[in-house]
Amino acid sequence: MSADTSTASLGKITQASRHGPGKRSQPIKWVFILPAIVWVLTFTLFPFGYAIYTSFQSYRYGQRVGFVGLDNYRRLFSDDVLWQDLITTLTIVSIAVTVEMLLGICLAILFNREIRGRSLLRTIVTLPLFATPIAIGYLGITLFYEEGGPVNSLITAVGGPQIAWLSSPNGAKAAIIITDIWQWTPFIFLVILAALQSLPQDVIEASAVDGSSELQSFWNITLPLLTPMLWLVLLLRAIDAFKIFDIVAAMTLGGPGRATEVYSRYVYLTARRFTNYGDAAAQGFLLLFIVMFMVTLLWSRIRHVYDDTPR
Amino acid sequence: MAIADTAVPTDAFHEPGKRRARKLAGNVFIAIVLAVVLVWVLFPFYWAFLNSIKLPGDTFGNRWIPFLQFDPTLENWRSTLGIREIRQALLNSTLIAVGAATLALVLGTLAAYALARFRFRRPNNGTLTTWFLSQRVLPPVIFVTPFYLLMRQFNLLDTVLGLVLINATFNLPFPVIILTQMFREVPIELEEAAQVDGASHLEIFLRVALPLVAPGLVVSWIICLAFSWNEFLFALSLTTKDAIPMPVIIAGAEHTRGVDFQFVGTRVLLTMIVPLVMALLAQRYIIRGLTLGAVKG
Repeated sequence: MSADTSTASLGKITQASRHGPGKRSQPIKWVFILPAIVWVLTFTLFPFGYAIYTSFQSYRYGQRVGFVGLDNYRRLFSDDVLWQDLITTLTIVSIAVTVEMLLGICLAILFNREIRGRSLLRTIVTLPLFATPIAIGYLGITLFYEEGGPVNSLITAVGGPQIAWLSSPNGAKAAIIITDIWQWTPFIFLVILAALQSLPQDVIEASAVDGSSELQSFWNITLPLLTPMLWLVLLLRAIDAFKIFDIVAAMTLGGPGRATEVYSRYVYLTARRFTNYGDAAAQGFLLLFIVMFMVTLLWSRIRHVYDDTPR
Repeated sequence: MAIADTAVPTDAFHEPGKRRARKLAGNVFIAIVLAVVLVWVLFPFYWAFLNSIKLPGDTFGNRWIPFLQFDPTLENWRSTLGIREIRQALLNSTLIAVGAATLALVLGTLAAYALARFRFRRPNNGTLTTWFLSQRVLPPVIFVTPFYLLMRQFNLLDTVLGLVLINATFNLPFPVIILTQMFREVPIELEEAAQVDGASHLEIFLRVALPLVAPGLVVSWIICLAFSWNEFLFALSLTTKDAIPMPVIIAGAEHTRGVDFQFVGTRVLLTMIVPLVMALLAQRYIIRGLTLGAVKG
């Protein structure tokens, strides 16, 4: 009798392990997933829908006046300040992300070998990633201080000019770009280093045995294997870079003049200072459109990076 | 590198001596780059620390080493911590970060287990995962107005609870992605063995699966904690007085009062110390979390 039940359950187990438990349909799975689904519906989808609704309404002094159709979106095109800030953001993002990619990739290749201190290096470089951006921006004011701040002290010590970091338009842009590079190059570095180490080593070794030089095997084997990952970090970094807000809010407040006013801050100020919720929502969706454009542009190149993960 | 060494015999152009010299030059180059990188990364932290223990008169003039070049002082720390608003902000930040991280972890772990162990049809697992991760792509500034109006509706403006809810939402992708992958790596046989013993699914989840992914739980929690602590946009737009956390306290202070280097030092360090310690603790899985699971670094 007892032997009988045990064979029965054994049979069930073998069946389960052949197909994996994922194949079984069990109502209990909803207990696990529903809280998160309800959460995302409540705190992401509902506010998102609310933002869409807001973008078709007109507000005055924070109170809804009425439905205005596409007026808020139409106004985007005649708003010169908005496009100016968008170009500022694009400038900052493109320079910063390009430098971060180049530096991060070079460093990852350089440190992709057994050397002492590599794990220490990996630990140290995670610090900027977690450093509070607003605090880094605040600290940046003292680092880029014109009269006797450490950056200018170093530059004048090696015979360079005293740079007007935060009081000139280009200096302020440069200061923000350098701060962004300081904070996010480690991200590129760590991801590419991890990607390099997860490449199939036998393929690379085989090419070394074939007598190709290190440079050749890098160019012909490593780089093609790495390419999808490079597109992926570029996309992730660019998406995040477009959200830039904190460093500017702490370091320059968009100044001098509007030289460093970035898009997210413009949207924020439209909403919170001028309580033009309708305009702000439409402006926000323009940013989302730009981000989605980048995602769709690059998605086909990186898609298969994820192919083994979600089924 | 071992690979390069095995390739030596086929490489007839380099005599051993020349190779050794090149290797030495390579090592020196790497050491120099390593030193530059370390100084570049660590200098801002050291600069903040220096200012926090300097009197205003010592700020400038190449004073880099405490005791030798200037007399360090704890006065700045004492006066900074003496400010009631700062102590309140530290408390608020702690409550927001711990609350949001815990909430995100609970929701995310449950969802991750479901995604790793069960098959969903409509919507399927892939769609559900993408859905949870999409939060990382949406620009947060879109949500400023809806969250403000909703929080106003529910009397949650300027409350710690309001920021806990929002930060839990924005950090949900981290536990979902990290733990889905970790649950997949847990050998299914262990759970089946428990099933044979008559354990329910809930028991299997709590007693078998959870302990096996404990490191992932800790790291997910730590990452959520750090990023909730650092969050600024919603903290700025939703707090006015009682619930102000550290990032808001330091924002823009200098634009009204001019720059006090020593207070920049103490405030910056007080704001950053928690996430920095978290960074040191969360070494593993950070890359996995930040790349939404694409790289298992």
